[in-house]
Amino acid sequence: MTFKTITSGIALAAIALPGIASADEFSIWVRSDGSEFMPKLVEAFNAQGEHTAKLQIVPVNELVQKYAIAAAGGSAPDALSLDLIYTPAFAEAGQLKDLTEFAQSLPYFEHLSPAHLSVGSVDDRIYGLPFSADASILVWNKDLYREAGLDPEQGPTTWEELRSQAEAVGALGEETYGYYFSGNCGGCNIFTFTPLIWASGGDIFADNGQTATLDTPEVKEAIEFYRDMVMDGLVPGGAQTDTGSNFFAAFANGNIGISPSGSFSIGALNNQYPDLDFGVTFLPGKDGDWSSFAGGDNIVISAGTGDSKLPAIQDFIEFAYSVEGQTILADNGALPVRGDVAEEALSQLDERYLTAAKAMAGGRTPYTTVFNDLINSRNGPWITTLNRAFFAESEEEVQQAIEDGQAEMQSIIDAAP
Amino acid sequence: MPAQTDISDSILEVPPPRRRRRRDWTGLLYVAPALVLVAVFFLIPLGMSIWMSFHAWPLIGVPRWIGLDNYARLWGDTSFWSALVFTIQYTIAATVGLLGVAFVLALMVQGEGRAIAFYRTAYFLPVVTGFASASLLWAWLSNVDAGLFSPLAQDLGMTDGRVNILATFTPAFWSVTIMVIWKMAGFYMVIIMSGLQAIPTDYQEAARIDGASWGQRFRWITLPLIRRPFALALILAVAGSMLAFDQFYIILNGGPQNQTVTVVYRIFNESFVSFRLGYGAALSVVLLVILLVLSVVQLWLLRDKGDQS
Repeated sequence: MTFKTITSGIALAAIALPGIASADEFSIWVRSDGSEFMPKLVEAFNAQGEHTAKLQIVPVNELVQKYAIAAAGGSAPDALSLDLIYTPAFAEAGQLKDLTEFAQSLPYFEHLSPAHLSVGSVDDRIYGLPFSADASILVWNKDLYREAGLDPEQGPTTWEELRSQAEAVGALGEETYGYYFSGNCGGCNIFTFTPLIWASGGDIFADNGQTATLDTPEVKEAIEFYRDMVMDGLVPGGAQTDTGSNFFAAFANGNIGISPSGSFSIGALNNQYPDLDFGVTFLPGKDGDWSSFAGGDNIVISAGTGDSKLPAIQDFIEFAYSVEGQTILADNGALPVRGDVAEEALSQLDERYLTAAKAMAGGRTPYTTVFNDLINSRNGPWITTLNRAFFAESEEEVQQAIEDGQAEMQSIIDAAP
Repeated sequence: MPAQTDISDSILEVPPPRRRRRRDWTGLLYVAPALVLVAVFFLIPLGMSIWMSFHAWPLIGVPRWIGLDNYARLWGDTSFWSALVFTIQYTIAATVGLLGVAFVLALMVQGEGRAIAFYRTAYFLPVVTGFASASLLWAWLSNVDAGLFSPLAQDLGMTDGRVNILATFTPAFWSVTIMVIWKMAGFYMVIIMSGLQAIPTDYQEAARIDGASWGQRFRWITLPLIRRPFALALILAVAGSMLAFDQFYIILNGGPQNQTVTVVYRIFNESFVSFRLGYGAALSVVLLVILLVLSVVQLWLLRDKGDQS
């Protein structure tokens, strides 16, 4: 068989099987965190019939590697729902298409999530558009609150309240604990621990990510707040070595009073643990303010994607921004990213989502091109410092851990190209 | 006898030159598939790694030639050298444990019989589980809240309250090492057992008739005669332990406080967490050289004394 017959055979097959090689088909990847909402969104989009999106779900810890290898081999997906913190690094490496014109042509452009856009833009050009949102929040177990004689409708609003409520729940029994956090997970703690610092007036970076500020009184105070709860047995022993696998499951088991979590957990808890009666509130500051990590995904288009596919991808993005699209997202655990229709998209859902949406709107996202090295790496300075300090035996050990972490973080930032 | 040797030598030394050349080509043809495999899957990737190690090669972005800068940086990279020290420490613990246990097991199962066949199979079974699944199993067993070891130790009164064995270095390190011994000892058992079975029974019987004790027979007959399979087992165990990664990544994440980051783990982090492929390649090249040196040293230490002539 010659090459020609092979190709004509393929062409024939393509004609015979409609949909397999339609001109308006594009590929899109999403990290596994999006496996609840993304398939439903893609399904609804494809059902409209005009274009076809081909979805691939990639394990969250392998997305960047897989994308980079695919891009090097010329087989990168046309579009990608990318963890928003990676957008600066990807854009600066020249991997993404400039979406500025398209973005500004959208009539509701100014209502799109500002936190997403701030990390999605480099030098005033937009490379990533808000796609899905996940805000960090605090959840509490209402049943355990009732048992402990606390007001089940009132979550903590300061550190002191959090501490005393955790104590009350922890006193219920040997297998019941007041508080849980994943003590060896960098991603979990940037998501849920830094808001405690932010809400108390501190931060871990200054100068647009160019200076690490771990060695500051606010950070140390927040660490001591956690360490005291650990020392007093309010936190289960497994927290020390939890690299994130129990981030959601620990609270879901029903023997934890309070736990920091993400808005995704509202949908997941409702779907998977319908019997668990829980409340949602903000991550509190020391004396009553609150904050949140505005996380989620930006949608980006690979630099190598052909122009012929752009209309289909833009259609998909606009579909995601429609009331229907935003409602599909909200129903499946992702917060809406379009402010002007958020309330409409959330109207069918309970008020706990509104708390999360409010947290998102007031949330922050740290900016740095070395986020993976500093924060997400299982051996990076952020989690190494926190793990050492949270479970330290003495105050000197805490100080030492913070100083070491501060120095290592700064040296990684300085060494970044 | 010497005369005969001379004759055979002279016959071998003067074959017709033409035939010899053709035979050489045929030989090359026979090994060609193997050579192609070695070239495609070993030599070319090796060459590419060395080539990459001379670049600043980001995972996303454009590579840039930087000559020997990666190697210069490596020289002062304390985290790499401390990873190497830890890997050597682990290699010693794991190799001694593996070969010791394997030796005992091999002595136990070298005979014949149905029960022995059963035990042989039982000891070998863990070898066929993957390192990742064995590690996941172990991670769960070691979990302080939902696992087995900590609650068991508490119920047996061995510890006061539940102790998180993965949270401090010593128990965490030994927990992983014991897992590796449990999983891999059966493999080395088979190698050593084959060596034991290859020792002619005449030797043992002759020594027994001469009145040698079990200890004497072991020291003067068994040990010298299994030197070759033992050398093989040693080299495999050392090379395997120097390349350890999965178990420390899955069970401990390199913790507590990054004290169990092995060299391969470090290479993985450089390449796929920090996205510096060029530097990762340089680390790999250095590790390859270290492994080569180690293997040569071991072969030299365990050489047959007769080989020297």
